[in-house]
Amino acid sequence: MSRPPDTGTSLAAEAARARKRRRERSRRVTRHALLIAWTGFIAFPIFWMISTSFKDAGEWVAWPPHWLPHAPTLHNYAQIFAFGALDPTLSRQATEQAFTIWKGLGDAVLVCTSASLFALLLGTFLAYAISRFNVGGKYFRHTILMIRMIPPIVVAISILIYYAIIVPYVTSALFGVRISLFDTYVGLVLIYTVTTLPFVIWMMLTFIDEVPYTLEHAARLMGAGRVTVIRRVVLPLVASGMVVTFLFVFILNWAEFLLALTLTHPEVTTLTVLLNKFQSASEGRLYGPQAAIGTVVTIPVVILGLLIQKHLVKGFSFGTIRK
Amino acid sequence: MRWLASERVFRLIPFVLVEALFVVAILVPFALTIWISLLKWRANRPFETARFSGLENYEAVLSSDQFWLALGRTFYFAGVAVAIELVVGFMLAMLVSRCTRSRKLYTTVFLIPMMIVPIVVGYNFSMIYVDSGPLNQLLAPFLDRLGIDPRIRWLSHPVAAQWAIIIADVWQWTSLTFLIFLSGFAALPPQLINAARVMGATPWQIFWRIELPLLKPAIVIAIIIRSMEALKLFDPVVLLTFGGPGTSTQTVAYFLWEQVWVFNKFSFGAAASILLLIIFSLLIFMGVYMLVSHRRAVEGATS
Repeated sequence: MSRPPDTGTSLAAEAARARKRRRERSRRVTRHALLIAWTGFIAFPIFWMISTSFKDAGEWVAWPPHWLPHAPTLHNYAQIFAFGALDPTLSRQATEQAFTIWKGLGDAVLVCTSASLFALLLGTFLAYAISRFNVGGKYFRHTILMIRMIPPIVVAISILIYYAIIVPYVTSALFGVRISLFDTYVGLVLIYTVTTLPFVIWMMLTFIDEVPYTLEHAARLMGAGRVTVIRRVVLPLVASGMVVTFLFVFILNWAEFLLALTLTHPEVTTLTVLLNKFQSASEGRLYGPQAAIGTVVTIPVVILGLLIQKHLVKGFSFGTIRK
Repeated sequence: MRWLASERVFRLIPFVLVEALFVVAILVPFALTIWISLLKWRANRPFETARFSGLENYEAVLSSDQFWLALGRTFYFAGVAVAIELVVGFMLAMLVSRCTRSRKLYTTVFLIPMMIVPIVVGYNFSMIYVDSGPLNQLLAPFLDRLGIDPRIRWLSHPVAAQWAIIIADVWQWTSLTFLIFLSGFAALPPQLINAARVMGATPWQIFWRIELPLLKPAIVIAIIIRSMEALKLFDPVVLLTFGGPGTSTQTVAYFLWEQVWVFNKFSFGAAASILLLIIFSLLIFMGVYMLVSHRRAVEGATS
């Protein structure tokens, strides 16, 4: 039995390995090229907004466009963050509308925080009841999911009729005063709470299902009451989950546009509605201040979102994918 | 207060609260919408003058070309956008899952669009598509050679405006499909793939015969979640085109909004929203059914 010469095989193997290494490297290069291309596609609109927010009026729609502001200015930020009456030096033309972000920011923070808190409170306890006692029957989880999938415009129309016509009609008939929920904080918070409840319930279900029931059982055997068990055993274990859920729902409410647009005007103005106001021609498009508002609106949610990055998929997929 | 903590009552408290909220804020308005949809009434007249008109409004909606066109357009936008998002998201997830060191960085960057407020996305793209915007500047060398004025008004052309909206949607929501597929790739059992490789399977075979079938639940979930959301398309339409030029970018949500909030046709809007809900409810039912059954499949595979 003759063996093939050693040198031959090692040379061939060497060549094969080199070829493989080269292929590996070219594959890696193409992979990174593709991924960097997509990064560029993602970064560009954001970059453009931030760049525009530092441009003065003449540069907003200059041709050819300025990629970086030639004369960077904080004018746009000064304009949206101005206090009290607008400083005449801040408006560029006599016709320019004075507008600041304060009202929108305040309303958005107020509405989003309270709606998210209500939804979190109700949703957590319902999720607990569903997880532990199967409240509402076998298909209750799915019914909740279906509510979430109703197009918001359908909800908006019925809520508009309800808030603006039926509630005043009924209250004037019963109490003699017309109370309208249209364009009120209560009205907006109520509908935000209801529309985000399904998210809270589904996210909290994934967290509560992970708390072993034996733990509660042990506490009960040691004589703790129902309420004590929840307060001392369950809540501490799902506290971080509650924070994540709160942030997720807060981001959803913060980004909500359709319901805010349709159910409020002109009293309550959230940031999304404020931004849209200056898109329509009637108010005159102020690209620079708009970009500044966009930047201010975006930064906090991106930070919050990155904080709960790991859980985002859980929230968006209703816990169908756990990570 | 002792009876509140008793077994039977305790478990029902949150249930009753939430149910009451749903009844007050969803069911009652919904019942009222049905009633309004049967009336002949416009918002600029007093409510007391409204009179019963039977199914007249439903007839008006069903015979309205605008409604059907808007509905068709919505499905067209959703179909195209979701298809692109799925393919691109899948490819990105596959590429990123092959990375080792840079994986975390890419994931973080690719997630950002999802967290940006849709209205801001609409604004950003309106700046990019504007006639003296960066898109036209990038295209200028090619367009000049062809003798076309580079300052094109993209949003004034019906087809270009439609694609503008689709691209904005893809920009934002590919991040979600990417995220879903990335967790799908992460959950693939490495032993199975190694075993196949040892047995001499080509990468192509591994992908089609092992990875893809195992990723099927993730794919189904991504399709359902994205389609449900894409059918609600509204924000970028308002920000980018106001449904125009003409009606070429009117989605069904925008159409209804215009009918009710601009033209004050309340009864018509109510009837249309009921019809829309009926049309969608079949989809919703199917979607939830598939989501739940695939959720079970995912759980069975992982646990």
